[in-house]
Amino acid sequence: MNIAIKLLTSTKFAIVIIAVIIALAAFGTVYPGGDAIFGSWLFLPFIGLLALSTVTCSLTRIRPLLRAVMHPKLEVDDQFLQQLPYHTKLTGVAISQFKAHLKGFKWYESTSSETTFVFAQKGRIGRFGPYIAHFGVLILLLGVVIGAAFGQTNPYNDTITVIPVGGSQQVDGFVLRLDSFNVSYYDNGAVREYRAIVTIIDGNQVQTRDITINGPTNYKGLTFLLYGYDSQGVIESGKASWVAFQIKNDTGITLVWTGAAVTLLGIMLSLYISHKRVWIKLYKEQITLGAISNKNVVRFLKNIDNLCAKLEDHS
Amino acid sequence: MDIAAIERLGFEIALGAYLISSILFILYLSSKKRRLADMGFTLTAFGFAFQTLALITRWFYAGHPPWVNTYEVMSFFAWTIVGAYLVLNIRTDYKSVGTLVAPLSFATLGFASLQPSNPTPLIPALQSVWLLIHVPIVVVSYCALFIAFVASILFLFKDKQLSEQRTLKDKRLLKNRSTEAMRALSQEHTNILDKLSLTQLDDLAYRSVAVGFPLLTIGIITGAIWAEAAWGSYWSWDPKETWSLITWFVFLIYLHAKTQNWSSSLAAYIAAFGFISVICTFLGVAYVLPFLETYISVSTGLHSYAGGGDVAGTVFFCGIVGFVFLLLFMTRKKPPHASDTPLAEATPEVTRVD
Repeated sequence: MNIAIKLLTSTKFAIVIIAVIIALAAFGTVYPGGDAIFGSWLFLPFIGLLALSTVTCSLTRIRPLLRAVMHPKLEVDDQFLQQLPYHTKLTGVAISQFKAHLKGFKWYESTSSETTFVFAQKGRIGRFGPYIAHFGVLILLLGVVIGAAFGQTNPYNDTITVIPVGGSQQVDGFVLRLDSFNVSYYDNGAVREYRAIVTIIDGNQVQTRDITINGPTNYKGLTFLLYGYDSQGVIESGKASWVAFQIKNDTGITLVWTGAAVTLLGIMLSLYISHKRVWIKLYKEQITLGAISNKNVVRFLKNIDNLCAKLEDHS
Repeated sequence: MDIAAIERLGFEIALGAYLISSILFILYLSSKKRRLADMGFTLTAFGFAFQTLALITRWFYAGHPPWVNTYEVMSFFAWTIVGAYLVLNIRTDYKSVGTLVAPLSFATLGFASLQPSNPTPLIPALQSVWLLIHVPIVVVSYCALFIAFVASILFLFKDKQLSEQRTLKDKRLLKNRSTEAMRALSQEHTNILDKLSLTQLDDLAYRSVAVGFPLLTIGIITGAIWAEAAWGSYWSWDPKETWSLITWFVFLIYLHAKTQNWSSSLAAYIAAFGFISVICTFLGVAYVLPFLETYISVSTGLHSYAGGGDVAGTVFFCGIVGFVFLLLFMTRKKPPHASDTPLAEATPEVTRVD
């Protein structure tokens, strides 16, 4: 049990699972008939394992991170400041001057007898980026699972219905009538467009809609896509006598798109927002300052160094 | 002069410019004369200007974005790589990166020139706003990941060079040579990589992935939205989709390796393999799977470009993958004992340099 938890909370193990998924997926594309692997019990458990590892990795890391970021350590000693990538000592500089120059930072302060401790940070949200991205992936996977599980309960999901031109078809409490179907061509004979004009008759409500290859239509949660047509008829007489529509009802799709958007947001936050932190200790007119950033380190430390030099010159 | 001729002329001038700049960069590699790299850079920029003209005129007369058939997609890819290279040089001097960028742009554009260049009318499946959004996002992400690959390869070369220098230095110190020997040693290796430090190259690779990875994510999502509208399914494990996901996973490993503070050379190897995966997604699916399909019936899926599956494409794919593996092979460090013999011959030379 302990080993299982240890494995699931390790990033290395997660990377091994990803490597296995990569190998299986690559195999699936090059081996004849290998694409059957993606829905199989050889592939899916690894996706499940990756999801589980994502959950455990995030859960075990998020609490210490929350504590460190929301309740930062204020009263730090010199030893702590000296091990930071940037640290310096200044005299004759007031803390308020730092506050005026470091824009957008959140400030924390505590005073004990003779020493004042100040801490400032900016870009905390960047630290949560990875967890937001992990959460997004889980929402997405949930959407996929819901789509797969509930799709099967709807009799109309993933069915093909063939309607003769001028004819109609009863679908889930309403009627779909195919008014016309047209194929238009470019000068060189290539197909420009397939367009079906349909009328949805639902009691008193009557609506006419167009369906093209990139333009399916939705009604009452069902999506209608152009699937096929009577090409023989078009070749022989220029007219199709029937059109096939694919009907889809993916209940999980909103979750899939939401998950994808959240994942993207998390990725961008973790890549583009750097968490910058500055500690200042004031003891008898003497300032000890330390700074750190988790990204863009060189530039931030240079900026802090310039600021310190500037403030000391003016004093 | 009709507009198609302007496009053709712009294309050919760009092709010529990339060829000459490739030669200049190769001469630069062997002679280490800085001016050659500067000339190569200027010529690449010159070619880029003409290719931009070609792309705009093509968009104008084809009546759709210039990234529909193979000729257009390859030209656009070459244009984007060169564009990324020029942008890279705005703030820092990365001109030497051109030694890999110029030949690849020439090869890509040369491959495009072998394809039928007549504009193809948009088939119904491509008539979508996503054509305007999805394709350029994906192409730009591939370019960023290519730059990450170039930086990683340069990193590995530099790393190898430094470690060889170190062993050389150690041995010479052991032989108790003069300080002149030390000075000569530091001059011996003045070449392209001297301008860029290991940290700089590692940083460039990371920054390029930081641009390319989110763009790849957006590319996969917009592709899924498009697939949902056109095929009724946001994901069907079509080979192109599968390989784009593989690429995404490889760079996901890269980013995790970075947060885990794994060694930079390991990260560089991951980025290099990520680029091989990019090539498989971009070219392999279109040019290798059709071959496999012919002989062992593999499904090519819905994504194949018009004109995919020709011999030139397969040769192009194999050439690039082979080149990548060759580069990776060249970066491997020699075991210490192997350098024993040439060192004994090299030492007398050192005393002469002064």
